[in-house]
Amino acid sequence: MQLLRNYLFLFVILTTAACSYEGSVERIPLEKFFAAPLKTSFLVSPDGKFISYLKPENNRIHIYVETWDGKNTIQLTCDTNRSISNYFWASNNEILYLNTGPANKDAALVAVKIDGTNNRELLSTTDSRIRLITTSRVFDDHVLVALNKRDSTVFDAYRLNIQTGKLALVFKNPGNITKWYSDPVGKLRMAIASDGVNETLLYREQESQAFNSVITNNFKTTILPLGFSADNTCIYALSNQNRDKMALVELDCKTGKEHKTIYNHPDVDVSDATFSVNKGKLVYAGYETWTKERHYLDDSFKSIFNKLELLLPNTEIRLSSSDSAESKFIVRTYTDRNPGSFYRYTPSTNKLVKLSDVNPSLLIEDMAEMKPVSFKTRDSLIVNGYLTLPKGKNKENLPVVVIPHSSSESRNSWGYNSEVQFLANRGYAVFQVNFRGTKGYGKKFWTAGFKEWGGKMQDDITDGVRWLISEKIADPKRIAIYGYSFGGFSALHGLFSRPDLYQCGASYSGFTNLYTYLKDIPPYFRPYQQMYYETVGNPEKDSEYFRAVSPVFHTDKIKVPVLIAQGARDPRVNMNETNQFVKELKKKNVPVTYILKEDEAHYFRNIDNRLEFYRELEVFLDKNLSRK
Amino acid sequence: MKHYQQTYRKNFALVIIFLILITAALGGTLYTAYNFTANYVENEFASQKIEVLEETIKPYNDFFQNKIPEISFYQGYLDSTQAAKYIDTIFRKFNFVDRVVFYDATISNRTFSEGIRVNNFSLGPKAIYQFSRNIAPDSILVFKENVATKPFSLKSGDEFNKMALKFSGFIELADTSRVLNDSDRFNVFYSVMSKRISYMNIPRREEIKIYKDLMLSNQSLSPMYELDMFSFYLDPLKLRIKNTKPELYESINIKPLVYESLENTSEIISNDLPLSGPFSDYKLYFSSSKTFLRKEINARFLPIAGGLIISYFILVLIAYLIFRNLNINSKLFKLQYDFINNLTHEFKTPVSVIKIAGNNIRSASQLSDRERIHYGKILDEEADKLNDLMNKLLSFTQIENKAIQIKPENINLEVFCQNLIDSYRVKYPDFDISYMIRGVEYFRSDPVLLGSIFQNLIDNAYKYSRPDNKVLKIKITKIKKQLFIKFSDRGIGIPTKDLNNIFEKFFRVQNEYNQQGSVGLGLAFCKELVKFMHGNISVKSVVGKGSEFTIELPYEL
Repeated sequence: MQLLRNYLFLFVILTTAACSYEGSVERIPLEKFFAAPLKTSFLVSPDGKFISYLKPENNRIHIYVETWDGKNTIQLTCDTNRSISNYFWASNNEILYLNTGPANKDAALVAVKIDGTNNRELLSTTDSRIRLITTSRVFDDHVLVALNKRDSTVFDAYRLNIQTGKLALVFKNPGNITKWYSDPVGKLRMAIASDGVNETLLYREQESQAFNSVITNNFKTTILPLGFSADNTCIYALSNQNRDKMALVELDCKTGKEHKTIYNHPDVDVSDATFSVNKGKLVYAGYETWTKERHYLDDSFKSIFNKLELLLPNTEIRLSSSDSAESKFIVRTYTDRNPGSFYRYTPSTNKLVKLSDVNPSLLIEDMAEMKPVSFKTRDSLIVNGYLTLPKGKNKENLPVVVIPHSSSESRNSWGYNSEVQFLANRGYAVFQVNFRGTKGYGKKFWTAGFKEWGGKMQDDITDGVRWLISEKIADPKRIAIYGYSFGGFSALHGLFSRPDLYQCGASYSGFTNLYTYLKDIPPYFRPYQQMYYETVGNPEKDSEYFRAVSPVFHTDKIKVPVLIAQGARDPRVNMNETNQFVKELKKKNVPVTYILKEDEAHYFRNIDNRLEFYRELEVFLDKNLSRK
Repeated sequence: MKHYQQTYRKNFALVIIFLILITAALGGTLYTAYNFTANYVENEFASQKIEVLEETIKPYNDFFQNKIPEISFYQGYLDSTQAAKYIDTIFRKFNFVDRVVFYDATISNRTFSEGIRVNNFSLGPKAIYQFSRNIAPDSILVFKENVATKPFSLKSGDEFNKMALKFSGFIELADTSRVLNDSDRFNVFYSVMSKRISYMNIPRREEIKIYKDLMLSNQSLSPMYELDMFSFYLDPLKLRIKNTKPELYESINIKPLVYESLENTSEIISNDLPLSGPFSDYKLYFSSSKTFLRKEINARFLPIAGGLIISYFILVLIAYLIFRNLNINSKLFKLQYDFINNLTHEFKTPVSVIKIAGNNIRSASQLSDRERIHYGKILDEEADKLNDLMNKLLSFTQIENKAIQIKPENINLEVFCQNLIDSYRVKYPDFDISYMIRGVEYFRSDPVLLGSIFQNLIDNAYKYSRPDNKVLKIKITKIKKQLFIKFSDRGIGIPTKDLNNIFEKFFRVQNEYNQQGSVGLGLAFCKELVKFMHGNISVKSVVGKGSEFTIELPYEL
């Protein structure tokens, strides 16, 4: 009888185990998550007859052109040395593209006819850089470009004839202008000057006139010009001057005064606005709560989007290109579980045709859902974030990987993320926090992160993790922290400041030393240095703080396993310091996995190196977060 | 033809030779072991100094490998207060650091009043500070730009200029396309001299590129780049010596490299090991007196000697045990030999009597009734004797091999004793035998076996008593769960030396009472029986006064 009961028990256990095994998703090969997209950067020709796109071939990216209905594909470029970094339609039968060689050197601006003939190098440099001021339509065969060939630290504005290749200086940079703006007809009429701390918006009515200062503001205030009104009386801009959240406003061209607020959102910054050259007006403003949303300023665009939303429910939709009549569009879509697709769309017939999938090898059903979450910090601030739970598991007591975002300022957004999906597929809950200092939630939230690296910014992450534990989602014995760049700094900081919270941590090109990080700013940009001194800290005056938060000084406090990936040529994280850091950890018998790549810089360009890193990360997490 | 004696042989000479041999081996081994240990200790004295060096130099290595490179972490941003904090941690942790000079320097293409200039590249100190334990605050600052009271002097700036020169040489030839390798880093940014280490914070590749451009091209006035340099003055005599082998080294000192002990008596053994890096002018000097080392040799030799002696004694013990075994075997051999002798004799007597009687009957022409009865009686008695003898042997073998079984029944002790005594009174009219029973009436046991024990003991009591004093008292008592049966006689007694052997097979006490008719089985048989019945038999005896046998049997009813 006892024996029978034992067998029964064993049977129940085995069945449960089998069931729970079936419940978990199979491991998708790592390479699939990080596969490079096949076709990207779809554009419509101005007359709407052709579609162009970029496609990799033999390790280089090339431009292809085909008719609107997908016939007669022609490869336009076949440069084996340089890659295409930017391209656009110059006219109905000509494409302009910017070619750059390795390490952003050896750049060239090239024009080519859409039948592949008349491929001509208009501008070529070896040691200076080319920036395009004109990025869409070309007027009278002229484009505006910015070049730093006179002085490598400043960019002058030139006008270039794309037929003859003739280059003429339009404006000599007095040294403080950082950005140039062209008006819709190719005239250089607006610029932003900066002394690093304060920005000045410059405007002129005619190219022949001198620039007038319209408005000056501290770097903490942003005024981002978007375009001119048709009557040249005002500038459309995103501004958070005298307000916390960025709003879409209309500024007076001469006085810089705000005429009116076109749109603002109570909780988040307005992040972008689309100006229709065809209509000569703003058509919608974009903002991002937990997902991207639009406020329509034009009924025809509203109806276009409404129709698209019916065709593509629960999907992020972006109009990435249109013909000049705005009757044909390229639509880019994605969701949290889908890397997305490109479509061509004709609003008049409501015809939507798929052009390409970004990553067709992934099955949407296998991907995990990314959900917005928010929690209250110790000082009662509401902080938002995203939580991706692994599919097919119960939703409690999960191993968690916390990923602080890779720049101190740029937020996490809802959408497909290879890293997140990869980790979720391996059974980890992935937690991303838009801690204070993140842009997009208003000026106050952003500036609250100043000089708080490793301070309140880190506390927000800590509070988020504690919240996850209190919600019983996280298993307090199985939490890891991993990040790239700033995220790596945050991970290492978390490991030495909260050794009890994390079982292990991984840093991919994470800053180990703030002194070194601030050395990056070339000293001739003294003004920018001032800005960094305000946002991050002053290495001379805030030396105590630098020493207190830089992981390189605190190897003695790290007790849990660490994974570190470092490029030997990284200008922002000194390899010698990382070597020293690893050496000291090893000396203290902390298990360290060190991946050093000789030919890589901050970001590993070679896909094999990146994949190797993720493979090591998988092994590392598996070893340290598996249930013991 | 040689005739082998078929008896047990004992050869004491062999035993003695064995003992002598192993004793000699012990002596030899002890001697070799001592020499070996002495050699070993002397070798260790020479070789273990490396470990002492490693332990002693460990804090210095930590200082050199970890603490000095930390300067680079500050990327040249150190100022006098930060530097003071950094140096303070050094003073606290590394007592061999005597004095630290901090050069707060700048690089530019401007011309400095001090420092060096190569082409357009200038490297000059902004200020020089020195730190040591208990330094007066006003003497910390050694030099500061544009402060007249603190001028730049060759004394304070010499080290700086040397490093700066080396650095500018490096900048001039630097290959900025490749990563700095370890040997570059050591050659350029470290300067290790006697009692002094200088270190300059290692610029990043980008900065080296900028410096090279500054040097080789004409540019507008550049900003000032920060550079930190430190000179650490070390005192080797303050290195803490860690004597990891205090048993080997009586004293360890740090001495100048040229030091030689003058008291070169043969009583002192010494050895030295030169220090490296900034301490290379000094050496670790190890010395021990011979008596000190001898103590160590003895300490190490003692357990070895102990081990050897223990194995020696184990060998002797084993030899003794083998010898004793042989002795016992030879005794057994003798006993068996005697037994066969006795048994033959025992059988011979009745057989010869029977033979004589048979002969007489055969040779007599006529037998009278008296003769017939006489011979018949003889034949009958002798046959009984033989039968009895065989029964005894048989049952003894059986009981020894546990081949018989107890058939217990309730015995009325009164009746049992009375019957026995009655039969003995008929047999030996001169035997005064009496019994007494206390506190027990019935006893459950095998009456045949119990009777056998009684008979044997009563027979012995009769046999070993002088003819005029044949007295036996049997006393049966029950104490707790044991039944005690005591047989007390007034016989000749048993000598103390034989008391232990009387229960052995074939053992007989040598005296006039058992010249014949005794096999030496009676008591051995009793003992086997009692053992078989889970009991115990013991004896007390005084020679000339009598013996008392006590049988103790478990009482169960």
